[in-house]
Amino acid sequence: MLFNSFAFLIFFIAVTSIYFILPFRYRWSLLLFASCFFYMFFKPEYILILAFTILIDYYAGIRIAAAGSPGMKRRFLVLSLIANIGILAIFKYYNFINSNITGLANLFGFQNHIPYLKILLPIGLSFHTFQAMSYTIEVYKGNQEPERHFGIYSLYVMFYPQLVAGPIERPQNILHQFHEKKEFDYGRVQAGLRLMLLGFFKKVVIADRLAVYVDSVYGDVAHANSISVALAIVFFAFQIYFDFSGYSDIALGSARVMGYDLMKNFDRPFISRNITEFWRRWHISLSTWFNDYLFTPLVIAKRDWGKGAVVFALLITFLISGLWHGAGWTFLIYGLLHGIAVVFEFLTKKRRLKIQKTIPGVIYNPLSQLLTFTFVAFSWIFFRAESFTKVKMIFRQLFSFHVSFNLTQLSAEKGPLNLLLSFFVIFLVYYIEKLYRSRWVTAFSMIVFFLIIILGKDGTKSFIYFQF
Amino acid sequence: MEQKASFISNFKRPYTRTFLFLGTVVLLSLAFQHFFERKIILNSLSSSSYKINRIITSQDQYEIPIFGASRAQGAFIPDSLGPAFFNYGIDGIRDNVILFFLEQECKKQKKTPYTLLTFELEGYTNAIGDPDSYILNCNNPEVKKLLGNEFKPYYNVPFVKYFGKYESYFKDYLNDRMMLTKYKDKGASIEKNVLTPEKFASLVETRKNTATQFRNDNVLETEFIHLFKNNPDRRFIIIIPPYHPSYFEQYLNYNEAVRFLTYLSTFKNIVVLNYSHLFYPDSCYMNTTHLNYKGAIRFNKVVKDTLQKIMSN
Repeated sequence: MLFNSFAFLIFFIAVTSIYFILPFRYRWSLLLFASCFFYMFFKPEYILILAFTILIDYYAGIRIAAAGSPGMKRRFLVLSLIANIGILAIFKYYNFINSNITGLANLFGFQNHIPYLKILLPIGLSFHTFQAMSYTIEVYKGNQEPERHFGIYSLYVMFYPQLVAGPIERPQNILHQFHEKKEFDYGRVQAGLRLMLLGFFKKVVIADRLAVYVDSVYGDVAHANSISVALAIVFFAFQIYFDFSGYSDIALGSARVMGYDLMKNFDRPFISRNITEFWRRWHISLSTWFNDYLFTPLVIAKRDWGKGAVVFALLITFLISGLWHGAGWTFLIYGLLHGIAVVFEFLTKKRRLKIQKTIPGVIYNPLSQLLTFTFVAFSWIFFRAESFTKVKMIFRQLFSFHVSFNLTQLSAEKGPLNLLLSFFVIFLVYYIEKLYRSRWVTAFSMIVFFLIIILGKDGTKSFIYFQF
Repeated sequence: MEQKASFISNFKRPYTRTFLFLGTVVLLSLAFQHFFERKIILNSLSSSSYKINRIITSQDQYEIPIFGASRAQGAFIPDSLGPAFFNYGIDGIRDNVILFFLEQECKKQKKTPYTLLTFELEGYTNAIGDPDSYILNCNNPEVKKLLGNEFKPYYNVPFVKYFGKYESYFKDYLNDRMMLTKYKDKGASIEKNVLTPEKFASLVETRKNTATQFRNDNVLETEFIHLFKNNPDRRFIIIIPPYHPSYFEQYLNYNEAVRFLTYLSTFKNIVVLNYSHLFYPDSCYMNTTHLNYKGAIRFNKVVKDTLQKIMSN
């Protein structure tokens, strides 16, 4: 079920109303049932994959806590990790690996007879497997007591607001909340609804609007000129941010209405002055996941290498982060680019600080923000383009410096009104976010509601991060 | 006691505020919808929503309507045909919607018996075009029936029913006023631009590889015939506007189409004007099935003369 659908609106009203009517002891079962229904709306049979990992991780968590020796603990952790990574490997990476084996085999004159799997990627697979893994890792580290209530544990993995696109929660933050009685709190409900409204605005008014232009240019790069390609690259940066942060706002908001606090996933990433800062502000739940469970253990493991350990850990972390997003070489390059940038920033930190001191802040800060944004927007070409051929085409068109003013070409054949509105909504969001933070609660709600209905794009376009 | 009073007032205040908020939203929504429908949608004469509303509500006894799809919308210039004509052509629709228009028209008391409608050489087929066109009148049972599965429950909710469509209505309104790329005249919407020879050649090439044939939907055919028979006091002028010669290169059964048209012309209240083979230079076409403004001007001169002869008889 998509958040930006009328089905969800009915679902949300129904589930939230019943939630507050039901006695506390039945609420977890309502939320679990609702989450199953929400997930099964996409492709019902994939619930079995979730059930499989839930069973394994639930069992592993209890056995890890009960294990007498570190070796035994590790064994159950490995069991959980294999189950989760195994599921990811089969459903997400199998065909990618197989196609590379085929390519390699063809190169050497052999034939690859390993069959391809004709399966669709279960929605949100990377999100819920990572969340499940964080549970067993935290239990293993002793930071989290194992959850003995099977229903509550299932809810931890399946809680519908964050099931398909995060935030990737930690057990310490969310599990205890399912045991706490949540009273109806008018203030919380209002705050949650406002956040949801902001999320819908970001998705339906901004992201889906920009998608029209971006899809049009990426769909017909050959007929785009340098200006329209540049615009599409910039628009995609805004599209992906508002699409994903819009989803996160709806997730956080809908959980908040029922009294649950999910972790913050975005913190104004486009004001970042470097890539390292960008990753502290962008998809925070994933960045911290990689930091806690991959980067830090790698640095510790290779601490004898000195600075080399950090460089090594950074590159590995970002390569895997790229692959987390999608099984393809373009995603790998996307990760590598960010890895190289962060490594560069790590190695030149002192020198950059010296330069920073010599340049006034009013010049240095916006300039570094612009540079960071440009780098990120360019790296997203690899994220958005389906293949290297498309990436090459985009770069070729962009650097052909074909800048003639052809309105049809410039508006990507979607008309000047769409282009004008695309610019307008980007500027509009600045004021809407300002209004959201102000004390003008009613004005915000009213204005945003009207803007969603009047400027929103219908057609229930899926969220970009659902594919991961 | 004091504690109780404060509890009640605390309880009341936020809910009163919520109801006030919702009330204001509803009032503003209704006001906005009213303004938008009156000033934007119903002020765009060439928009499909306006045309559907007009055929249901207009009681102009002297109006001579022109019904059809995009080939009608882009081929007939009402002002060059006469003051009573109005072009009801809608892009993307097919004969089930034309039948709906005819049924509405036949319900009216008219001082002039003439109705113009186009006929496509692919035969009678079904397509409702853009569902957005029907939202304004979706409470009308016949419109609702026409929408079928395309009818969404939220079309019943005022203001929200236009969610995601405001832009397209506004675009229609602007296009009607600015006429940047299309010529607009009493419902007609005709492309002004002339394609480059290369682009047109590629369209011709595509057309040459597209097989076309005449095939009537039996139910529709019966309903049309029924309508023609049941309205003997009306005169239906069925017109087939020009195609590009390439259209006929892969046309599989033109004889079938001619046979059906000959059958229609046996009706006393039907006149068939087949201009399908009235070929113009490439510069007169928007594509292989539609004329552009230049082509429409030439075509309307021919049609006007013929219509004058028919109507003076």
